[in-house]
Amino acid sequence: MKVRDLAVETWSALDANRGRSALTVLGIVIGISAVIAMTALIGGINKALVGELGLSQAQLVYITVNTGKPLTYDDVDKMSQNLTDYDYMVATSMGSGEATTGTKKASANITGVKPAYFKAMATKFVQGRAFTDAEEGKGSLVVILDKNSVKTLFGDADAEVVGKTITLNNNEYSIVGVTESSGEMYAGADSVSLLMPFSTAATRVVGNQEVGTIMGFAHEGSNMESVVKKTKDYIAATYNIPESEREENMYVYSMQSMIDQVNATMGAFSLLMSAVAGVSLLVGGIGIMNMMLTNVTERIREIGLRKALGARRSDITRQFMLESVLLCVSGGLFGVLLGYLGALFLAVIAGGALMGESTRITPVVDLSTVLMATGICVFIGVLFGWYPARRAARLDPVESLHYQ
Amino acid sequence: MAKVLDVINVHRIYESAAGYTHALRGVSLQVSRGEFLCVMGPSGSGKSTLMNILGGLDRPTSGTYKLEGLDVSELTDDELAELRASRLGFVFQSFNLLPRATVMRNVQLPLVYCDVPRSERVERAVKALHAVGLPPDYYDHRSNELSGGQMQRVAIARALVNDPALILADEPTGNLDSATSEMVMETFSKLRARGKTIVLITHDPEVCEWADRTVHIRDGKLLTDEEEHALHASERGNT
Repeated sequence: MKVRDLAVETWSALDANRGRSALTVLGIVIGISAVIAMTALIGGINKALVGELGLSQAQLVYITVNTGKPLTYDDVDKMSQNLTDYDYMVATSMGSGEATTGTKKASANITGVKPAYFKAMATKFVQGRAFTDAEEGKGSLVVILDKNSVKTLFGDADAEVVGKTITLNNNEYSIVGVTESSGEMYAGADSVSLLMPFSTAATRVVGNQEVGTIMGFAHEGSNMESVVKKTKDYIAATYNIPESEREENMYVYSMQSMIDQVNATMGAFSLLMSAVAGVSLLVGGIGIMNMMLTNVTERIREIGLRKALGARRSDITRQFMLESVLLCVSGGLFGVLLGYLGALFLAVIAGGALMGESTRITPVVDLSTVLMATGICVFIGVLFGWYPARRAARLDPVESLHYQ
Repeated sequence: MAKVLDVINVHRIYESAAGYTHALRGVSLQVSRGEFLCVMGPSGSGKSTLMNILGGLDRPTSGTYKLEGLDVSELTDDELAELRASRLGFVFQSFNLLPRATVMRNVQLPLVYCDVPRSERVERAVKALHAVGLPPDYYDHRSNELSGGQMQRVAIARALVNDPALILADEPTGNLDSATSEMVMETFSKLRARGKTIVLITHDPEVCEWADRTVHIRDGKLLTDEEEHALHASERGNT
């Protein structure tokens, strides 16, 4: 029996039982859509983490030290000379205030940054530019916003705001640039993130030359755990922080561990989804087997006829096997579609909850995932189709021809 | 004339929980090429068992059965399947067509199992349908849209399409009224005229009038000429 004949026979048999076939594959559809939704979502979240933050972000380490005496920029210079694992170390100072623009008002998280910050962070500008060295030197009243903050303050994320001013703690600052994202993971809807030159922040907002969080960028491919450990050891040694106080007075945190943490959460989530998928695939497979057994019983006379006309056992086996496999694969492909739609829906919910409003998760379904899903379906089709097909093939032609 | 069928002392014993059933008790039968043989017998006489053995659907418990010189009793399941695909054509009492498939697809079905190229199939199916006299308008009809007589002619076309050495018909008129039966028997008669070898099994004496020769089967044995005369005599006595 040729492949094409087999396909024609199989198709017409499935076509004859369209309603029942569709109901039977529901289990497979649900199982596969769970798998797809899960992988698409995890893929999307990983991509959002890596993409949104920039690849370099994985190498980013946040360092905060509390020694009683605030660190200064000189400390940062020294640190970057001693810790050779880093490409850059950028000092920031953190402050807060209230930003207003004529009609709108919002609390603002203010970060003072040196011009090198933008290069190190590979900041993407959608409007305007980074700060210049001259602005840093003079302590100019300039700010950079992210798109979300533009939306909060001006009502439209795409508003042309470069050159406009906002008022912060009674000073007028002019906007020189808008970034795609602030890199702030937990930005709230009603607060805004502002960047201003380090010197400006130091004099106007924070009040002195003290350094807040230091951002270090390790060399590409560094082992982040060991970088974090070396950094901790250096800081503890330099500022005489005893072992017992390390936890509370020293904060060295790599973005990688943040990513790892999200991945761990995702791992738990994917375990749950895998269990759902596994159970529904198993139940779906049993459903397929049940339907195929019904099929065989209903078509005993047809099987007898085919045998009388010269079908060998293997022809009958292949015909029923292919039926079950095709059933599973079609259910699987539908499940891929449904799973992707489910992931889109979940991305909206999970995206907001997990990553902050600013981060949009686009589910990722790649070819290998689809191939894997198809492979699973073929496997289920073969596994659960084998017994009914064998039963069909072993039917006695004489008895089946006279079966009522 | 060359023998198509050569059956020598065939026994068939069924084993079941109830014990042994001796369905065939030493049947010997020869059929020449181009012959139209009618095997007549009441139900339970063993005629269906004989038909199954002749059709390669069942094996004799003992004895030999040769089809065109090939010893069928020695064949494996797959070889039997191949034999059915290439050398035998079946016509059943209940037609056994695929109900949702078109006439053309039904007729082409045996060709699927003997690997005839697709290009040749339609041509052969049309030829077979032409031979049974089904008008071309019906070729694309689904088989369940046809009348009983039309269905049986489609089934005969299906039995013809692989150009078999032997056409086996099991009560082909059993489900048909007398006018339709006559039409179907005319079809067989035409095939006979074209040199086809046919073995037809029935309990209906009228059907046997179309055949070249009739053998009677009773209790798993073919009747000898004397027994047959005696049977005829008793039948005449009854009427």
